[in-house]
Amino acid sequence: METALTKLKSEEYGGELIQLVSFNLEKEEYGINVLMVREIIRMLNITRVPNTPRYVEGVINLRGKVIPIISLRRKFDLMEAEYDKRTRIMVMEVVGELMGFIVDEVSEVIRISEKEIQPPPPVVSSGIEQECMAGVINQADRLLVLLDLERMFSADERRMFSNVA
Amino acid sequence: MSIDCEDQELLEGFLAETTELLEKLDDDLISLEKSPEDAELMNRIFRSIHTVKGASSFLGFDLLVKVTHKTEDVLNRLRKGELTLSSVIMDVILEAVDLVKTLVADIKGGDIVERDLEGTIAKLIPFLSESATEATVLAPVFASLKEEKAAPEPDTAAAPQAAPASAQGAPAAPESTAVAKQSVPVPQPKAPQIKEPQKPAAKGEELADNSTVRVDVKRLDDLMNQVGELVLERNRMIQLHSDYQTGLDPTGFGDDFGKLSKRLNFVTSELQMQVLKMRMLPVEKVFKKFPRIVRNLARDLGKEVDLVIIGEETELDRSVVDEIGDPLIHLIRNALDHGLETPDQRLEAGKGSTGTVVLSAAHEGNQIVISIKDDGRGIDPDRVSRKALEKGLITEEQLAAMGSREILDLLFLPGFSTKEQATDLSGRGVGMDVVRTNIRKLNGIIEIKNEVGRGSEFILKLPLTLAIIQSLLVEVEREVYSIPLASVIETMRVNKNEFHMIGGQEVLKLRDSVLPLLRLQQTFGCEECTADRSTCYVVIVGVAEKRIGLIVTRLLGQQEVAIKSLGKFLANLPGIGGSTIMGDGRVALIVDPMGLIGGGETAGVRKSA
Repeated sequence: METALTKLKSEEYGGELIQLVSFNLEKEEYGINVLMVREIIRMLNITRVPNTPRYVEGVINLRGKVIPIISLRRKFDLMEAEYDKRTRIMVMEVVGELMGFIVDEVSEVIRISEKEIQPPPPVVSSGIEQECMAGVINQADRLLVLLDLERMFSADERRMFSNVA
Repeated sequence: MSIDCEDQELLEGFLAETTELLEKLDDDLISLEKSPEDAELMNRIFRSIHTVKGASSFLGFDLLVKVTHKTEDVLNRLRKGELTLSSVIMDVILEAVDLVKTLVADIKGGDIVERDLEGTIAKLIPFLSESATEATVLAPVFASLKEEKAAPEPDTAAAPQAAPASAQGAPAAPESTAVAKQSVPVPQPKAPQIKEPQKPAAKGEELADNSTVRVDVKRLDDLMNQVGELVLERNRMIQLHSDYQTGLDPTGFGDDFGKLSKRLNFVTSELQMQVLKMRMLPVEKVFKKFPRIVRNLARDLGKEVDLVIIGEETELDRSVVDEIGDPLIHLIRNALDHGLETPDQRLEAGKGSTGTVVLSAAHEGNQIVISIKDDGRGIDPDRVSRKALEKGLITEEQLAAMGSREILDLLFLPGFSTKEQATDLSGRGVGMDVVRTNIRKLNGIIEIKNEVGRGSEFILKLPLTLAIIQSLLVEVEREVYSIPLASVIETMRVNKNEFHMIGGQEVLKLRDSVLPLLRLQQTFGCEECTADRSTCYVVIVGVAEKRIGLIVTRLLGQQEVAIKSLGKFLANLPGIGGSTIMGDGRVALIVDPMGLIGGGETAGVRKSA
């Protein structure tokens, strides 16, 4: 996983192909390195956990393991939406822990060349913090935002997460 | 000097075995002092030391060999009856055993340090000279021991001991051992004491090794059987499913499935018991160091104490065993130091001069109950409250509002002590705080029974295991929470108009006490959806010495649950101790009563804000 990520960022492998899982949130398309994703599951019963940040939906039972679930809509300050049959939980390994992220819809796995990744635009109008955007991919018919979840759970956020009162 | 032992496995075996032998040895030696005529016991002690000696010489630990060899020689003479056991000899032997423990600890630590062996060996040697008569052997030892001690004890103890020893001939006839028994009473508070053994003893405790488990082969076989059974049931389940899919037996499916789930239930609960048993250790592992501690303490304090141990075979989880050692030491210390009176005071109070401390363990449902009971002077509530005021731990108003139970709870405050001056035994006000902290960590409960002038009893109620717990499932506004049953004291159905407000805190009058209440719905921020109900339930939980009532919407029942961690992102949530998976696959959160009671103040602040 480490090598995959560094590949993403390094310039010298400019022509390297990487695979991204693309998903939708509020009509925008996002991509995440496929190597980060453990599995994609349908919505199931989420148990609310009290006294956590708003974007923590709760916990689920993933085959005997209890993992936290995070609503990306809330995390990115988007409008809340009803869960429907296309809603998915993407289970990912973030800094060594399994976590689930709720997204509107998972569409496909795409291959792109690293050359296509452009640095994120300097001004970000949506609520996504600048730091968790690894870049944007501008193709003829689509615009993809590449996310880096490791960065999203930056050190001090994780601390806040665990000490939240 | 590092250890030049090639074979690591051999070394580990040696350490495991030696540690076990040494632990047992302490206990045996103390029993031997009480019944010196027990030849079987004597032989066992001799064999243990001999085994340690043999193994260490095989592995080339010369220092160990030196000490064990001399100890063995002394024991051998005792065994043959050439020496009579006295508390002086016992002290020296115990000191030697402590030295052996220190040496073994060094080996375990991976580094052999040069230690002063000569001091201990020199004390052993006088008992070995066969030429001298025993009276003369004993005399110089007594002399030297007395020199070590700043304040010499009266000679009363030394003289009668030396006399029968010399009167008794060298070969041991059964009659003469009987004489010996009379002459050597049970732990002698007045006999000269040696302070040194205490320090190495602390080191020796670290020897207890818990990283490996010895499991009875039979238990392992049983386990394998159970797993085989489980595999069988799984196959049956797969078969049943494929039968159902092919539509072969749709009518009987329900019946078959019912039978299958019953069998599965049976097999898994058996399996659970088996695995649990493997994690279990007899509480003896902790208890067996106490006779030694009590013996030393009684001497230091000049008190006569009989320690009675009941139920040492009671088994409990390793994790619990590891944690209760310290609290028990503090409680026993307190019982001896504060509880029991000196022999003179006891006689004045019309009691026998020897005090009794009863240490007992027993299973009670899914809990283990450990009690430390003494027949001393008991706890004087007036004195306790006065001291707490003096030390500024409470205010007059607070005291006025306290019942007798609450006053006893003051004992647990950090910094509380009834002693005017701190001694090396007690008085710094730390001990009871340690007790409380450890018992809290284990989700246990402390109760104090007290009768002024008659004695006091500290009762610890602990869960059997920390991995699988009995829990009470409750509903809080449509959300299910699980409360560890070990901390639940009682539940009751209450009409909402029975609640009172005192200083912004909701309380409930419960018999003769006033119980603070906590609305779980508020603490956990659940959406209120059953506000129209006039009754609700109060679950009274206790953590260590504190009690609090949790207001819940409904009680759902009791269930055995396996604790799952919430992962490191959600660790340290106040009031939530973990999670568990219910029968329907959903996650239910486990309430952590300790977190709730500790966080009671912040919850109050939030309420008023």
